Amino acid sequence: MIANKRLAFQNKEKENREAELVIANKELDYQNEEKENRAAELVIANKELDYQNEEKENRAAELIIANKELVFQNAEKESRAAELIVANKELVFQNEEKEKRAAELIIANKELAFQNEEKEKRANELIIANKELAFQNEEKEKRANELIIANKELAFQNEEKENRAAELVIANKELAFQNEEKEKRAEELITANRELKNAEEDIRKLNDELEQKVVERTAQLESVNKELGSFSYSVSHDLRAPIRAINGYTKILVEDYGDKFDEDGTTILHSIINNSKKMGNLIDDLLAFSKLGRKQVAILPVDMESLVGAVRDELITEDGENIPVFKVGTLLPANGDKSLIKQVWINLISNAIKYSKYKETTIIEIGSYQQGNLIVYTVKDSGAGFDMQYYDKLFGVFQRLHSQEEFEGTGIGLAIVQKIVNRHQGTVWAESLLNKGTTFYFSLPVSRH
Amino acid sequence: MNYDNVEILFAEDSKDDAILTIRALTKSGFSNKLHHVADGAEALDFIFCRGNYALRNPKEFPNLILLDLKMPKVSGMEVLEQVKSNPETKSIPVVMLTSSNEGPDIEKCFALGANSYIVKPVDSDNFFQAIKEIGLYWMILSQPPH
Repeated sequence: MIANKRLAFQNKEKENREAELVIANKELDYQNEEKENRAAELVIANKELDYQNEEKENRAAELIIANKELVFQNAEKESRAAELIVANKELVFQNEEKEKRAAELIIANKELAFQNEEKEKRANELIIANKELAFQNEEKEKRANELIIANKELAFQNEEKENRAAELVIANKELAFQNEEKEKRAEELITANRELKNAEEDIRKLNDELEQKVVERTAQLESVNKELGSFSYSVSHDLRAPIRAINGYTKILVEDYGDKFDEDGTTILHSIINNSKKMGNLIDDLLAFSKLGRKQVAILPVDMESLVGAVRDELITEDGENIPVFKVGTLLPANGDKSLIKQVWINLISNAIKYSKYKETTIIEIGSYQQGNLIVYTVKDSGAGFDMQYYDKLFGVFQRLHSQEEFEGTGIGLAIVQKIVNRHQGTVWAESLLNKGTTFYFSLPVSRH
Repeated sequence: MNYDNVEILFAEDSKDDAILTIRALTKSGFSNKLHHVADGAEALDFIFCRGNYALRNPKEFPNLILLDLKMPKVSGMEVLEQVKSNPETKSIPVVMLTSSNEGPDIEKCFALGANSYIVKPVDSDNFFQAIKEIGLYWMILSQPPH
């Protein structure tokens, strides 16, 4: 067995060796074939080299010919260069000449530029001078025109003067004639003047006489005035004294001897007292009234509200049943003499109280309103009133519309009111209804303050 | 006659006014020390111790002088002027009495230094009242520096 297996294995090895030999045979065949191809290629390459050699020989022959040509050209170029050098030198010289000329031209240029500038300045100056001349020319032309006009005017005036001169000659003749006439007239006037002078003297004499008469009359009036002044002083002083004595002595009779009189006697004594008292009041009122005409009136703004308030406070008497009720509205200020205006209010308000005394109540309404440049004041009562048919007697001196027994009084209160108001350039008036009441109005100038 | 205790010197020419005035002052309690003279001349004699009054003590002066304005010889105004211009008498209160408020007398009297000015009223009640008030005021309320 082992020997068999060895033989098998050896067999197999011999088979593998045979396969490898077959492959190596095939390789050798391929390498042989390749060597034959390479030989064929080398023959072709040899032939090619031969052809290239031949070509190079042809080229060398051509180069020799070209070389000969170049040598000839070189010689030509050298002769040309020598000619160019000569020409170059010539150009350098010309260039130098040109540069010198250029420098000269630059200097000449600058000179020209300077001259140009100068000429421009001069040109400008000439332009200005030209304008000035043109303006002067124009002015001269205007002046020339004006002179022409003036000339014409003078010529016209000359003509006029000549005409006027001719007229004056005529007028002169006329004047000479008139002069003659005037001389004649002057003579007549001198005569007339003499007559006038005589008349004037007569008038002067008459005037002097008149003046003398005026002086005499004035002196008379002044003395009458003085007499009147001393008369009222006497009335005041000397008439009051005896009345005062009558009143005083009668009072003594009543006080110290009263028990010696019966009822009638006592009544008579009281009548004497009352009458003397009334006489005193009459004298006082008459004096007050006559004084009004002489008193200087001092016109100033008057605060009516405070003035009426003061008068009301003075007149209200707290005794008795019929205490007056006042309804005072706005009282505008007016211009007047305060003391005189106060007298107006006293008289009007005391009248209103007096004539209300038989009424159950006394209501007095006081107010004011403006009418143009005047302020109108009103005092209204609801008292006895009066019959308007006797209105024209209302403001008269010592005029009374009621009896003394009914309402006491002297009849001068309203006359005083009217005189005061008139002296203020105002007016006083009244409206009344018998037994219904009376409204008094008086106006005063508006206060400007 | 002793004039040394005279408190009121009263100058009045009208007999009636004098009687009534003195009566009013008497009723007010001033009469015992009152001396009445009939005109301005006598008033000056009294004040300055002359004539009938030469023996009067010159150191004694009345406390009040009542002067009627209008008197014969020397007027009340002239008496007032002399009293008020004499340093010894100028402090004596002087009351002017007049019958009227006529003329520039009121202003003139005050300018001369009158202390009061009374218009004699017709009505005696008012007259007595006025006189009484003068006496009271100048004798009691304003004591003179004597």
